[in-house]
Amino acid sequence: MLKSSRREFLVEASAVAAACTVGGSLAGQAERSAAAMAVAKWGGDQPSSSDEIERVAEQLTVKAVEGIGGIGKFVRRGDVVWVKPNIAWIQPPEMAANTNPKVVATIVRLCFEAGAKRVKVGDNPVDIAQQTYEISKIAAAVRPLGADVVFMDRSRFRRVGIKGEVLKEIPIYPEILEADLVINVPIAKHHGLATITVAMKNFMGVVEERRTFHQAIGPTLTDLCLFLKPKLTVVDAVRVLVARGPRGGRLEDVRTPLAVAAGTDVVALDAWAAELLGRNPDEISSVVCGDKAGLGTKDYRSLNPVEISLA
Amino acid sequence: MKRPRWSAGTLRRVVQICSLVLFVALFLAARPIPAQDPPGWLKVYFWLDPLLLVVTFLAAHAVAVMALLAVVTIVVTIVLGRIFCGWVCPLGVVHDIAGRLIHGRRTPPATNRYSPWQKGKYYLLVAMLVAAIFGAHWISIFDPLVLFYRTLTAGLFPTVQWAIEEGSTAVYQKDPGLGPFRLVRVTEPLYLAFRDRVRAVEKQAFLASGGILAFFVVIVALNAYRRRWWCRFVCPLGALLGVFAWRPLLRRTVSPESCNQCELCGMNCHGAAAGAGDQKWRPSECFGCLNCTEACRRGALHFRWVWPWRSDPTMASVDLSRRGLLASAVGGITVFGFFRATPLGRAKVFNPQLIRPPGARPEPEFLARCTGCSLCMKICPTGALHPCFLEAGLEGIWTPRLVPKLGYCSYDCNRCGLVCPTEAIRPLSLAEKRQVKMGLATFDTSRCIPYAYGRDCMVCEEHCPIPEKAIYFREVEVLTRDGEIRRIKQPRVDPAKCIGCGVCEHVCVYRDLPAIRVTSANESRHLSNQPLPAWEESYY
Repeated sequence: MLKSSRREFLVEASAVAAACTVGGSLAGQAERSAAAMAVAKWGGDQPSSSDEIERVAEQLTVKAVEGIGGIGKFVRRGDVVWVKPNIAWIQPPEMAANTNPKVVATIVRLCFEAGAKRVKVGDNPVDIAQQTYEISKIAAAVRPLGADVVFMDRSRFRRVGIKGEVLKEIPIYPEILEADLVINVPIAKHHGLATITVAMKNFMGVVEERRTFHQAIGPTLTDLCLFLKPKLTVVDAVRVLVARGPRGGRLEDVRTPLAVAAGTDVVALDAWAAELLGRNPDEISSVVCGDKAGLGTKDYRSLNPVEISLA
Repeated sequence: MKRPRWSAGTLRRVVQICSLVLFVALFLAARPIPAQDPPGWLKVYFWLDPLLLVVTFLAAHAVAVMALLAVVTIVVTIVLGRIFCGWVCPLGVVHDIAGRLIHGRRTPPATNRYSPWQKGKYYLLVAMLVAAIFGAHWISIFDPLVLFYRTLTAGLFPTVQWAIEEGSTAVYQKDPGLGPFRLVRVTEPLYLAFRDRVRAVEKQAFLASGGILAFFVVIVALNAYRRRWWCRFVCPLGALLGVFAWRPLLRRTVSPESCNQCELCGMNCHGAAAGAGDQKWRPSECFGCLNCTEACRRGALHFRWVWPWRSDPTMASVDLSRRGLLASAVGGITVFGFFRATPLGRAKVFNPQLIRPPGARPEPEFLARCTGCSLCMKICPTGALHPCFLEAGLEGIWTPRLVPKLGYCSYDCNRCGLVCPTEAIRPLSLAEKRQVKMGLATFDTSRCIPYAYGRDCMVCEEHCPIPEKAIYFREVEVLTRDGEIRRIKQPRVDPAKCIGCGVCEHVCVYRDLPAIRVTSANESRHLSNQPLPAWEESYY
């Protein structure tokens, strides 16, 4: 009997799910021996134009990824890679509501350079997908590089048993599960309910039926991340939204820390971003839950992050 | 006499098919393309429609500049007769195809004679034009272009879309194949082309579509009773063109010495305008289809140029009686009275569910312009606009309303106003449109989770598109059943900022009856429907 690889994978994925709580923490510990986190910051003159910010964003992304050992550690030749930015709202890059298009494009370029066969870029936007992809400028930034810009059709999601603490079953976009590697590329921003939205919350963009997540944002995100086992995350903090998130819409609420962090630990990265946004990681329920469940550590300093300053 | 292979009738059929294809192509082109304003040519058929021009002028005393293109149609009709009906009208093509399938080429003379009931459409037109003088645009919902467009939007296209989406998804999920061949390799590219280039909104479906589709099916089916039944007996645009075609310059003439009264012309006539019975030709019933000249075996029939003042013994006009016209006028006034003599029509109350698109004029002015063509519904990027059934009274049937549960007004879109052919929805810039209030969101605190169940939720706040946030929250302490004190965030609406876009209702966790709902209260277009004016003092 012939079966598609997709289906085989789904079966495997569900089977593995039971063990993932333990597995996740073990994998996390194994990777900590290498540089598990790197932060690249711009120390030079404040860029005066959007174009200059884009150039800085590209350099920061390259350096941050190099800081954790380079993309070759994650991408193997012939891989199908899904790059998961935050493409949620019909807002231009200046509003810091979506991941910076240059950061996304740089990751796509690095993947191809490392020998990836296909790079798919996609999110499940909150606003109208076609418009969001265009106005965020992410589609235009990655298409010329040869990436597939994928729209997640609502009808194509598949229910997957994830056997979490609170989430038992959730519709996930199947191509996410089929990809050899998912690179999580969130932006760091304020969020009215969750306080901040960064690496963990970005995975809300691969599922449906997510409206109820808000009633228990920490446990649901932890369950989802434990199932998905994120391997590589690159946090865009070139521009950040400090108030009226996650949608924003006022330039007064945007700051430009000009930083990019890369790492393998979503909890640590969220804790780092929380401090960057002026919040205490202990007040962020997803960080606390993720730490408790062994998804990662909220004490990101214990990972001895590599700090890179560019000028 | 052998029929020539390329006759004028063949040319006419080619033009008709082209017109139908163009009409459907323009319909399909009406889709929300990111960061692009919809082009004006999407409404070219409506611009060319004299009925919309005349009725809008009578009812609203103003017309969109491009609608003056309809003058071209009028001039053409004065010169050539109702060739718009016979050669251009896409609904006419549908009727022709239906008639041909049902009857074949010829119709028995008994069912194809001129009927005095064909005068009915003129009386109907007169009645409704009189009503239009008072402000009822109602007749335009029966305009053939409008009703066909609406049927495509609400009935036919969603059905095709359903078949394509459900079919390809079923193949995608079951993934059938033969050996190494997978069926998805065929279906997926087709589906993606449809998704990215054809459809407007995922899983598009419209309220009130059953009535729209049933109406269409009935008028097409009536071709079985009489060929082009709709065009002969009812069509208000046909009636208007019939008035202009009273004495066209191009007329059908008969050479009496050649005619043997075989009635072939009458059997082939689409409009019951020729031969049969009194042998006279009625120009206001003639679609210029040229079937008669093609059918005549003795070459007795010709279309010739004739000066308008020359009368012709073989020509007959449709005799409308003065008494009939007077009765129609009285009837028109009465119907208008029935329309408006309702609590809604007199603005004693407002329907909370009648949320009009952003920039819609005040209700009486809106009804004096809206044709119910559904172009706004087709172009809406979230599928938020739906045809009314009786939410706006009988007069407002099939006019658009926002149904937040099904879609919301995108903060970054102003397309409905840009495509409206009669400017019933004003063409506003994006900045202007963002200032328009369509309604007001209100919480149902007996359902809303932070109020009723003491848990955080705030999905509505997250989605509120107003940069300053029309939905904000207040942290409160609640006592749980177990006696534990919990701090939660309770959302509230700032009526000064809320524009009633409906995204909050659309995304509410409750899918049956959302716990935040938008009603028409506070809508900009009606001062008397504004319980919460935006005064200086802030709200609780």
